[in-house]
Amino acid sequence: MDMTVTETPEGVTHVALDGRFDIAGAQAVDRRFAELAEKAKILVVDLAKVSFLASLGVRTLMISAKTIIRRGAYIAVAGASQDVEKVLRLTGYDELVGLYPDVDSAARALTSRAKEFESRKA
Amino acid sequence: MPSREFPGTVEAAAEAEEWIAGESGALGLAGDTTFAINLCVEELFLNAVRHGHANRATISIWTEPDGLRLEFVDDGRAFDPTAAPAKRLHGRETNFEIGGFGTGLVQKFTRRMTYHRADGANRLVLEFDSGSDRNAGSGAIPAE
Repeated sequence: MDMTVTETPEGVTHVALDGRFDIAGAQAVDRRFAELAEKAKILVVDLAKVSFLASLGVRTLMISAKTIIRRGAYIAVAGASQDVEKVLRLTGYDELVGLYPDVDSAARALTSRAKEFESRKA
Repeated sequence: MPSREFPGTVEAAAEAEEWIAGESGALGLAGDTTFAINLCVEELFLNAVRHGHANRATISIWTEPDGLRLEFVDDGRAFDPTAAPAKRLHGRETNFEIGGFGTGLVQKFTRRMTYHRADGANRLVLEFDSGSDRNAGSGAIPAE
């Protein structure tokens, strides 16, 4: 599975995955995902080009979400197909992390939540 | 009836998925059914190898008038996936244990599952609709 990481000027880390998120796919991206989860402030995981998701892929997503939420950072998933979204909902991942139809709406929602938190702190 | 035996290794899971994808294509199955079959094969295969320590697994696939059947037979430790609880997260609590979601997914992506243990092997028959997305289960039942 291919993984492309880009940073936006607004501080959003965009991770685009492409391929099958099965055992081989999870092995291919596990380490890079863990590194991102340790440092990203706002992470949007783009699954639009993920054609298949099994429990080992969900495991990778859950480990990252756990790290990010515990750090007080933000994560969302965008663009999942109907079948991929079904897997995320059946495992309860959607209760942990918001699912959005596309990257833009996910980035907007997380950025606004981060700003709101910062303004409350100030 | 297409049927194939695979060695009980993690690497063979990809081989099994590739084979089942080819068979699904030959049967002209709907995309969501192909997705469901692929998912079930990966989860069952990895469970059998990693937790059941199976040395081999045999997968068969065939159609019936009311839908598709997939039989998964492995010589690992006895395990009835129809009786296992379906694990899922609840809320934003991050103190959860990672893993153990595969069996629940198999239950939910099949219309019905039937399990029995015979001759030192786990025998699981999964039923799927071969048309559109009507597979969300679960009608999982253990064998009598």
